[in-house]
Amino acid sequence: MENLRIGVYICMCGTNIAKIVDVEAVAKFASEVPEVVLAKSYKYMCSNPGQEMIIQDIKENNLNRIVVAACSPNMHERTFRSALRIAGLNQYLLEMANIREQCSWVHSDPVEATEKAKALVNAAISRVKLHEELESVSARMCPNVLVIGGGIAGMTAALELADAGNTVYLVEKENHLGGNLARVDLTAPYLYSARDLLTERITRINNNKNIKVFLSSKVTSLTGYIGNFRAVIQNLVSIQEGKTRDTEVEIGNVIVCTGYKEFDASRIVHYGYGKLPNVITSFEFEKMLRAGRIETKEGKTPKYVAIIHCVGSRSQEFHSYCSRVCCMTALKYAHEIKSAIPDCYVSDIYIDMHAFGKGHEDFYRSSSQAKTLFLMYEKGDRPVIHKAGPKDDCGMLIEVNEKLSGETIEIPADLVILMVGMEAREDAYEVARIVNISQDKEGWFIESHPKLEPVATTTDGVFIAGTCVAPKDIPDTVAQARAAAARILARIAKEKIEIDALYSEVNPNLCSGCRLCNLLCPYSAIEFLEDKKQSHIISALCKGCGVCVAACPSSAIKGRHFTDQQILAQVEGLLAEKL
Amino acid sequence: MEETKPKLKLAVYWAAACGGCCVSVLDVHEKLFDIISAADLVFWPIALDTKYHDVEKMPDGYIDITLFNGAIRNTENEEMAKLLRKKSKILVAYGSCAHLGGIPGLANFTTKDEIFKRVYFESESVVNEKNLIPVPEYKAEEGTLFLPSFYNDVRALSQVTEPDYYLPGCPPQSERLLEVFKAIVSGAELPPKGSVIGAETKTQCDECIRKKTENKRIKKFYRPWEIKDDGITCFMEQGVLCMGPATRAGCGYRCIKGNAPCRGCYGPPPGVPDPGAKMMSAVASIIDEKDPEGINKILEDLADPAGTFYRFSLPVSLIRRKIL
Ligand SMILES: Cc1cc2nc3c(=O)[nH]c(=O)nc-3n(C[C@H](O)[C@H](O)[C@H](O)COP(=O)(O)OP(=O)(O)OC[C@H]3O[C@@H](n4cnc5c(N)ncnc54)[C@H](O)[C@@H]3O)c2cc1C
Ligand code: SF4
Ligand code: SF4
Ligand code: SF4
Ligand code: SF4
Ligand code: SF4
Ligand code: SF4
Repeated sequence: MENLRIGVYICMCGTNIAKIVDVEAVAKFASEVPEVVLAKSYKYMCSNPGQEMIIQDIKENNLNRIVVAACSPNMHERTFRSALRIAGLNQYLLEMANIREQCSWVHSDPVEATEKAKALVNAAISRVKLHEELESVSARMCPNVLVIGGGIAGMTAALELADAGNTVYLVEKENHLGGNLARVDLTAPYLYSARDLLTERITRINNNKNIKVFLSSKVTSLTGYIGNFRAVIQNLVSIQEGKTRDTEVEIGNVIVCTGYKEFDASRIVHYGYGKLPNVITSFEFEKMLRAGRIETKEGKTPKYVAIIHCVGSRSQEFHSYCSRVCCMTALKYAHEIKSAIPDCYVSDIYIDMHAFGKGHEDFYRSSSQAKTLFLMYEKGDRPVIHKAGPKDDCGMLIEVNEKLSGETIEIPADLVILMVGMEAREDAYEVARIVNISQDKEGWFIESHPKLEPVATTTDGVFIAGTCVAPKDIPDTVAQARAAAARILARIAKEKIEIDALYSEVNPNLCSGCRLCNLLCPYSAIEFLEDKKQSHIISALCKGCGVCVAACPSSAIKGRHFTDQQILAQVEGLLAEKL
Repeated sequence: MEETKPKLKLAVYWAAACGGCCVSVLDVHEKLFDIISAADLVFWPIALDTKYHDVEKMPDGYIDITLFNGAIRNTENEEMAKLLRKKSKILVAYGSCAHLGGIPGLANFTTKDEIFKRVYFESESVVNEKNLIPVPEYKAEEGTLFLPSFYNDVRALSQVTEPDYYLPGCPPQSERLLEVFKAIVSGAELPPKGSVIGAETKTQCDECIRKKTENKRIKKFYRPWEIKDDGITCFMEQGVLCMGPATRAGCGYRCIKGNAPCRGCYGPPPGVPDPGAKMMSAVASIIDEKDPEGINKILEDLADPAGTFYRFSLPVSLIRRKIL
């Protein structure tokens, strides 16, 4: 084995460490540990002169292991690793001892804190001796992309990727593209036609040779890892005919854009949806608008139309979240009814008016001027719909406990529109399982960070965009689709993907194939090789979490940089008697 | 067999042992004659009337191979271990007791005092009106009488002297003994000192032919008599704890062939410092429950966990013994 030449650096962190820990005493202690060539203290190790000192010492004294006793490795491990790299030493030959967060900041007795700092430094020295040079590996990045779902999100992402010259497989389970937007008439707040928006997208997709559209199809399996996935696309029509027509494709990344479904209004029995013929959902009303005829089931032009908000949304019983688009859609309806039937009375029954998006507040103001009766009801309460009597000049009566006036008001209605909210699709679980992503308690897919990583997931190479993540309107949906596409384009441009060196590996000389580890990996990195009857870790998927390392009863799995020997040496160093 | 080479000198000794290991040497049946034709047995208390002082008189390194079985429980065991080390060219820790501390090593879950109290005063079959207890030294009219002193700890052979090899098993599979013996007689190159011989590097599951799937999740533990074993499916997948995954192969998975789960007598595979801890960590990983109370409920069905996980290996484990 090589001769160990260890350099130890004790940081004062200004006075953060030095005011409690006697850094000179710690440095003196370290300098006396066998194989330590030099031990120094310094005011700010992370500063440029601090790093420069390490680099110089490595070069001049042929140091081959470095211990920095300073703050948490979360803070500066990268900094010191890069110093090692600059000095020509493998970056993993470094160990940090945390004598700030875990010592000076939490102790007040200088004598004891100094002893503890010595123990932590001794532990780091014992461990660093066993550190190995590790190299990160790189894998190929296949430029093809799989997009699941052909709504506005999926189509936008597909075009973005294909325009840059990449092959896109766009899989849609229905027999047409467009998703829910194909059921919408005009869009709030600027009243663009949804049909125009979609026609533009669909035409461009059909004319783009890089996009292979699979209609009436589903993805049934996804294997491999980022840059190197294989997906099987199944044709649903052929399944109905008793045949299978599967296509296997190679891809590097996946975007899931499977969207939402509308809340089933018949679940709220009070509204009589499905029983009272003229209580309809927003989607049914969109259909009327698209057909250009607003009328009751009996074929009459309604004199009174009532719109009820938050159907299935913002309620403890159904979904606690706000569906975000229905308030503006309701205003759009008020607007369209008024322009189609100018003498119609429209009442809008809401909890709060959520008009948070760009242009929405103006839209709200212009709608209020269009003589709509706004009635506010309490969250948790619910308007009640009755059939009107023979003497009334309307079909139904709605009783509302109006919140602003504090009175119970009865309003007439010939047509009631229920603003049904959005919910996760029934088969979202199946999709999540196939592409290995998670769902929240409402069934929406979970992003890897809600603020900073809104379209990435915990599975590298699998992205999510649009309303399959949470309810949102078209601009937000499109922004996410473009963001996911941009993330992928940046990766494709690099052609290769760097895989962190801190993965775990199975030693084939020790694995007995007991299969105990097979289902434990949170990242699905473990596969069982049937031919060898042994388990294997796909290093590109492994995050080095250590779950399988702890579980393998034969110690056949080695967590690189966290081996049993390294950890035991660290513990022994910490507990050593003579410090 | 032609007498070309001088015959080897062979010794078999028992320390804190049950006798099973000595019997396992006889279990080679008619092959014993092959052994005797290649080797002279110079010391074997179960079968020959050779005395300790005869061994003391032998020159150092006189014995070619000593198969030392049993753990180190008292001063006599330790003295004989050191004596036989001196007198033997190759000292083999034979069987689980010598290798890991074995079944007698479970006594490290208690203390010498507790053992004496139980054995000499409390045991249902003991009548001890005068409250007598053995003492290591007794001055009689004829002179001083000595008994070996009983230690507080049971130790493995490697914890008192340096064996050359370890041949695991409780007792070792006789075929493996023969293989090892033949290898030594043939003059083949021997593995490095300190090796485990007569066993594999992988664990029982490598050889075991029971059907294994990825679904090792455990919702409930059963003791073998509580289920109807289908004879085909991996014990763990039936909820029966099997030490096979943490135990070296080499016995020919003989317990599993007999439809009983492995109890771990062949000891840990290389690189596992503490098989009990390793197996506990493995079992903890596959318990199919997230709620702490649910987990406790599942664990309640695991009979005698300490004795199960450390059945053969307590003295050489990281914890070594009960502390409090
Ligand atoms: C009544 C109503 C009116 C609205 N009006 C407006 C408006 O005026 N302005 C506005 O900005 N927003 C509006 N919205 C919101 C708008 O509908 C959504 O923002 C938008 O449609 C979301 O698009 P998407 O691609 O995420 O999802 P979707 O449109 O749901 O598309 C998802 C696609 O994926 C397909 N799919 C699902 N699962 C699979 C699978 N397993 N395999 C293959 N394919 C699958 C589906 O068939 C669908 O084609 C309205 C919503 C409603 C309910
Ligand atoms: S957008 Fe408006 S109607 Fe829709 S759930 Fe939110 S508050 Fe209710
Ligand atoms: S270390 Fe963690 S991420 Fe890597 S294979 Fe094991 S369980 Fe999976
Ligand atoms: S737990 Fe260990 S021995 Fe068992 S299959 Fe996994 S890697 Fe192999
Ligand atoms: S290893 Fe087993 S058979 Fe051998 S002496 Fe010990 S208990 Fe007896
Ligand atoms: S756990 Fe036991 S029964 Fe299952 S494969 Fe391993 S040795 Fe065989
Ligand atoms: S199956 Fe296990 S307990 Fe049985 S002999 Fe083999 S190693 Fe020992």
